[in-house]
Amino acid sequence: MPRLLLAWAAFAVIMLLLPQVVSPGTLRIIIFANFLAIFAMSWDFISGKTGYISFGHPFLIGIGAYTSAILSYRFGVPVSLSIPLAVLATMIGGTLFFLPALRIKGTYFALVTLAFMELMYQLVQVIRPDLTGGTRGISGIKTILSGAVPNFYLSFGLMFAIALALWLLSRTRIGTALDAISMNEEAVSGSGLNTTRLKLFAFMVSALVAGLGGAFYAHYLGSIAPRALFDINFVFTIIVSALIGGSSTVIGPIIGAYFMTFLLEYLRPVLPGSERYLVYGLIALVLYVYQPKGIMELLRKLGVRAGGGRTGRAGNV
Amino acid sequence: MSSLLVLDNVVKRFGGIVATNGLSFHVDRGESLALIGPNGAGKTTIFSLIMGEHRQNSGTIKLNGEEISNLPTHKRIQKGVARTYQVPRPFSEMDVAGNIRVGMMPDNLWQMITRGADPDGELAIARSVGFRDADLSRKPSELSMGDLRKLELARTLATRPEVMLLDEVFAGLTVGEIEQISHLLAEKRKQGLTYIIVSHDLRALEPLVDRAVAMTFGKAIAEGSFSDVMDDEAVRSAYLGQ
Ligand SMILES: Nc1ncnc2c1ncn2[C@@H]1O[C@H](COP(=O)(O)OP(=O)(O)OP(=O)(O)O)[C@@H](O)[C@H]1O
Ligand SMILES: [Mg+2]
Repeated sequence: MPRLLLAWAAFAVIMLLLPQVVSPGTLRIIIFANFLAIFAMSWDFISGKTGYISFGHPFLIGIGAYTSAILSYRFGVPVSLSIPLAVLATMIGGTLFFLPALRIKGTYFALVTLAFMELMYQLVQVIRPDLTGGTRGISGIKTILSGAVPNFYLSFGLMFAIALALWLLSRTRIGTALDAISMNEEAVSGSGLNTTRLKLFAFMVSALVAGLGGAFYAHYLGSIAPRALFDINFVFTIIVSALIGGSSTVIGPIIGAYFMTFLLEYLRPVLPGSERYLVYGLIALVLYVYQPKGIMELLRKLGVRAGGGRTGRAGNV
Repeated sequence: MSSLLVLDNVVKRFGGIVATNGLSFHVDRGESLALIGPNGAGKTTIFSLIMGEHRQNSGTIKLNGEEISNLPTHKRIQKGVARTYQVPRPFSEMDVAGNIRVGMMPDNLWQMITRGADPDGELAIARSVGFRDADLSRKPSELSMGDLRKLELARTLATRPEVMLLDEVFAGLTVGEIEQISHLLAEKRKQGLTYIIVSHDLRALEPLVDRAVAMTFGKAIAEGSFSDVMDDEAVRSAYLGQ
C-alpha cells in the first residue's frame, strides 16, 4: 500500500513537471489523452469490472457535454452550476441506460447500449435543434481556462482526482464484489448479495465520471458536434484503451488512453484517413491476443523481472 | 423439534420433463438429511428450487415457517439457506481469502465501502474447512479438487447459513480427501449445523446423516433411517438396479 501510494505520487509529480519540458503541441495531445483516460476509466468501472460491455458510452458523455453546453451557452448558467447539473443529468440518463440491463445480459446488452448511442445521435439533431444546434452542434461554448498549460493542469487534475477516487473505491469490498460479478454472477447472488443493486451502483459511478468528463470536455473544446461525439470510432477508442491498458484496474485505462492517443497521433501523418483505425485495431488485437490483461500486466511482469521478483503482486491497482 | 425447512408438494417442469413431481419433505433444526437417488432423479433441481435459481410451478417451500418461494436468491441466503455446487464455481481470479470475503459481505453498499474486510474472520472460516494459513493466497487454478470442494464449503459457510445444501461434495475426490471432508462435516454436525446432503457415495454418506429420503423421477419413494431406506424394495430396484 505505501509503495502504491508512492507510485501515485511519483506519477503526479512527473505530470506536473511535464509542461516544463514538452511543447504546447504535445501538451494538447496529452490533454486529449487525459480526457480519453477519464472516459476509459468510466467505461472500465462498469464494463471492465462487471463484464457488462457497454457500446454506448458516448451516450453518457454526450448527456454531460450537451447539458452543460446548452445550460451555459443558451441560458447563461455559470459553469460552476452547469457542470454539476450536467453530471446529475448524466446519472439520471445512466439509470435509464441501465434499465435494459436488468432484463438482458451479454451480447444483447452491448447491442442495446449501441442503440442508445445511435438514438441520441438522431435525437440531438431532430428534437429542439434550436437548443442542440442540430447537425452542426454548438460552438462558442464558454471555456474555463485558455492556453495549453492551464488546460493541461486542469485536465490532469480532473483525471488524477477521478483515478484516485476510483482506485480507493476499487480497493473497498464493493470493488471486490463488482469484480466477482464478472467472474460468476450467480455465485455473488448465492453469497447473499443483491447483484442488481451492485450493478446499478457501478452504472451510477460510471455515469458520474462520464458526465464529469463530458462536461469538462465540452468546456475545453468550446464546441461540440454530434458526428464527432456519437461516433463508433470514438466508442472503440474508449474500449480499446481500457482493454489494452489493462481492464478492471484503474491505472490500466490511463496507460491505454495515453498509448492510444499517441499511437493515433503518430499515425496521423502517415495515414490521414480512417485506415488509421484499421491499423490501431490490428495493433490492439495483437496486443490483446498476446497479453489479454493488457499493457499493465506486461509492465508488471517486466517490473517483476527487473526487480528480481521482489515486486510481487501489484494488487488491485 | 421445529421443522427448519419444509417442502410441500413441489412440482417443477422443464418443458416436457417433470424434474420434481409433487415432492414433500422436511428437515428439522440440527438435523442432517441425505437425499439419494439415481442420476437425473431431480436432486440438484430441488436445491435450485430452494435457492430460487429456478422457480417451482407449484407447491410451497418454507423456511422457519415463512414461505420463501417469492424471494430472490440473495434474500433467501439472508434468511439462512446456502448451497454448494456439484461443479465447484469459485471466483476464478480471486484467491481463497477473496472468495471467502465475498461470502462474508453484508448486503449493504454503504458498509461495503466504509468497513474493511475481516482477515481474521476469513482465516477462521478457511481453517474451519481444513485450509492451512498459506492457502489463503492461493488461486482456484492452483487448487486440487479436494481443495476446491473445501472452498465451496468455506464460501457457503461464510454466509452463516442455518441450513446448508451440499451437492455431491465427495465427487472427484481421493479416498484421503473424502475422509477429510467427512471428518469436517461430522464436526459441523456436532456443532449443530443443519444440512441436506446429496451424494452417490453411500458409504461415506451413512455416518453423516440422521435420516434419508430416496427419490426417483422427481418423487420421494422412501423415507426413514438410512439403513431402512437402503433396504427398501422400491429403492433397491430404482437406485441400485436390483
Ligand atoms: N435447466 C434445466 N433445463 C432442462 N432440464 C433440466 C434442467 N435441469 C435439470 N433438468 C432435467 O431435470 C432432471 C433432473 O435433473 P437433476 O440435475 O436435478 O438430477 P440429479 O438428481 O441432480 O442428477 P445427478 O445425480 O446426475 O446430479 C433431469 O432429467 C435433467 O435433465
Ligand atoms: Mg445433481
